[in-house]
Amino acid sequence: MKTYATNDVVDAVVIGTGAGGAPLLARLAQAGLRVVALEAGSEKDPTKDYATDERAQEFLFWNDERLSAGDNPLAFGSNNSGTGVGGSTLHYTAYTPRAQPDDMLMRTEFGVAANWPVDYHTDIEPYYDELEHFLGISGPSDYPWGPKRKRNYPLPPLPLNGAAQLMQRGCAQLGIRTSPAANAALSGRYYQEGIGWREACTNRGFCQAGCSVGAKASMDVTFIPLARAHGAEIRPDAFVTTFDRDSQGRITAVVYVQNGQTYRQKCTTVFLCAGAVETPRLLLINELANSNGQVGRNVMAHPGLQIWGEFDEDVRPYKGIPGGLISEDTHRPFAGKSADFAGGYLLQSIGVMPVTYVKQMARGRGLWGQALIDAMSRYNHVAGINILGDGLPYDHNYLELSDELDARGLPKPRVYHTDGENEKKMNAHAEKIMRDIWSAAGAKNVWAFPRAAHIIGTCRMGHSPDEAVVNANGQSFDIPNLYISDNSTFPSSLSVNPALTIMALALRTADKFLMMRNK
Amino acid sequence: MASFRYPIGTVRALLDTDHVTPATRQALQTRLDKQPEQPQFFTPDEADLLHQLSARLFPQPDTRPSIDVVSPVDHRLAHNESDGWRYDLLPADPDAWRQGLNGFQEAAQAQFGKPFTQLDGGQQDDLIGQIQQGTAIGTSFTPLQSKRFFEDMLAELVSLYFSHPLAQEEFGYVGMADKPRWDRVGLNELEAREPGAL
Ligand SMILES: Cc1cc2nc3c(=O)[nH]c(=O)nc-3n(C[C@H](O)[C@H](O)[C@H](O)COP(=O)(O)OP(=O)(O)OC[C@H]3O[C@@H](n4cnc5c(N)ncnc54)[C@H](O)[C@@H]3O)c2cc1C
Ligand code: SF4
Repeated sequence: MKTYATNDVVDAVVIGTGAGGAPLLARLAQAGLRVVALEAGSEKDPTKDYATDERAQEFLFWNDERLSAGDNPLAFGSNNSGTGVGGSTLHYTAYTPRAQPDDMLMRTEFGVAANWPVDYHTDIEPYYDELEHFLGISGPSDYPWGPKRKRNYPLPPLPLNGAAQLMQRGCAQLGIRTSPAANAALSGRYYQEGIGWREACTNRGFCQAGCSVGAKASMDVTFIPLARAHGAEIRPDAFVTTFDRDSQGRITAVVYVQNGQTYRQKCTTVFLCAGAVETPRLLLINELANSNGQVGRNVMAHPGLQIWGEFDEDVRPYKGIPGGLISEDTHRPFAGKSADFAGGYLLQSIGVMPVTYVKQMARGRGLWGQALIDAMSRYNHVAGINILGDGLPYDHNYLELSDELDARGLPKPRVYHTDGENEKKMNAHAEKIMRDIWSAAGAKNVWAFPRAAHIIGTCRMGHSPDEAVVNANGQSFDIPNLYISDNSTFPSSLSVNPALTIMALALRTADKFLMMRNK
Repeated sequence: MASFRYPIGTVRALLDTDHVTPATRQALQTRLDKQPEQPQFFTPDEADLLHQLSARLFPQPDTRPSIDVVSPVDHRLAHNESDGWRYDLLPADPDAWRQGLNGFQEAAQAQFGKPFTQLDGGQQDDLIGQIQQGTAIGTSFTPLQSKRFFEDMLAELVSLYFSHPLAQEEFGYVGMADKPRWDRVGLNELEAREPGAL
């Protein structure tokens, strides 16, 4: 494995190895650049170190404390972000739907959020296509929503588990179209140049606690080995705290702490890919790239209301990929005049691991005593559906530094999140539809768990240096040798799960950087 | 709808088979073998209170040794570990727990003139409900703080309790048998290693 000295001026330092960092790292290495990735989390061997046990897997989550404020405080930790070589993809559910073109034009269509400064068909779609084949996505040959794809998914869909079958049944009765979902988990063995064979999914339902099989396309089994094969060096347990800069303000070295020691890695360009909380936090701590005061603004989250129910059938919610079935019929519900909000949402079936489920019953239903024991005794009959909707940015939702210091002596971030009218109306609309679906499917003891998923925004990309932190290529307006590639740059939150689009933008940022560099 | 309750010993027997990977076996075996420890963070009174509280929050069968949830919370607070976030309106976890547990004592004194630990189960349940609703009198938390603290506390305690293999076998869970594939994943489809309903 190639290594660099901290005194070597490498071409790029990539901070963070999640969905935004790893693809870019591989791309730069493939182009022959000398690249080093600094990753705060550690590196494990999933086949040996991962247990099929939620508590044992808590090391996957970003467990430094964040302060959640506002009327709808966001849950972080296991509900939000991960750490380790691979970032949050180590525990993502691996739903990989594409965004639709109108998702990126919310300002034009509804006068809300901001349009994306890129063109769906030329800037995003080709990367979706590339990613689906590189990651080995399992999906239906005829996906009913969005523009027709150039190529089919490389693998057929994974088997439908109990929750997916129930959602299929309920939706069929109501005339709602469904489809097996696109999932970044292999329905068959898959070979990739530079990586080798990856094994098929064994249907063990533990995607959110890490895949011990290597079937799930987390970054550690896809882009990371590819990057290494092309000479990238990855330093785990390396927490970036600050930067050295020259008299013009350009970054000359990235300063990080590893095993209690401080190091400075010299470099010509920095790619900050620490996720939508740590990226703005690092910038705010260092008073960087924020001449217009936009760092930390535009916090968004996906409305992710869940509806749970109990069924007569034996469901065993721990089996099969958690996210089996999807519907995007509610992508623009106002078109049928049934909704009065901007944007839309998708519907997904959910399988659930037992501790996650009981924790939600505690928070969502407040159950305890015999009522809790009784409800848990029906765990094997439980299935859920949820939405994932377009959450809007508001002035009242932002991230700031608090006065409280964490164990590293750095200020803890405080994140304000309060739903606006749009989220309230969307949730109400979705709750009715999902309750109808579950009742048509035969559910009993139905209950709703309001929640928001994913944190998005905080370092918006756009055309104008007055309103955005980075340009369409991910480059900082203030510091030309600083790029951002992660969930923080989204101008609107999209009505689909974000990871595939984060990876697409990451590859695009790398390509644009390489193009300019070669000029 | 059938309830599940696997015969005592189901999970222990499963751990001895090759249906379980070494990493999973080790995690669960360690938990099974774990003995309660002397509290480092909680005072003896606080530990006793939390113990009694837990018995109301998830009554345990007397046919097996009881699962200890006090030690793991104590360990976490003593080492100032976090689960990644907290409600901004609550103080830092160690203070929130002190103040929160004390709230049960204060409410018990205000209403019954006795410590919480000397009340009967019904009285304890009443107070638990009031703390959960934010309506208990005599405590230093605001109503919203009281609700949020209770929610956080309950979520943490039930996560600890229901991640114990003995509690898991009581609701019919064998997801830890992760070694072979699960091929029968649809409705009403069971593998041989999944015991049916009793
Ligand atoms: C339970 C769960 C399920 C999910 N399911 C899906 C899904 O089905 N589909 C989907 O599309 N998305 C899903 N997501 C979301 C998806 O995982 C994230 O949106 C995505 O991984 C974010 O990518 P990122 O690059 O912004 O950040 P991350 O992937 O979080 O990567 C950031 C990395 O930066 C590192 N880092 C942070 N600070 C520093 C520092 N100071 N120094 C060094 N390194 C640092 C972190 O350790 C981390 O590895 C899910 C998320 C969760 C929590
Ligand atoms: S369900 Fe499949 S992809 Fe998910 S963790 Fe299990 S083996 Fe991996």
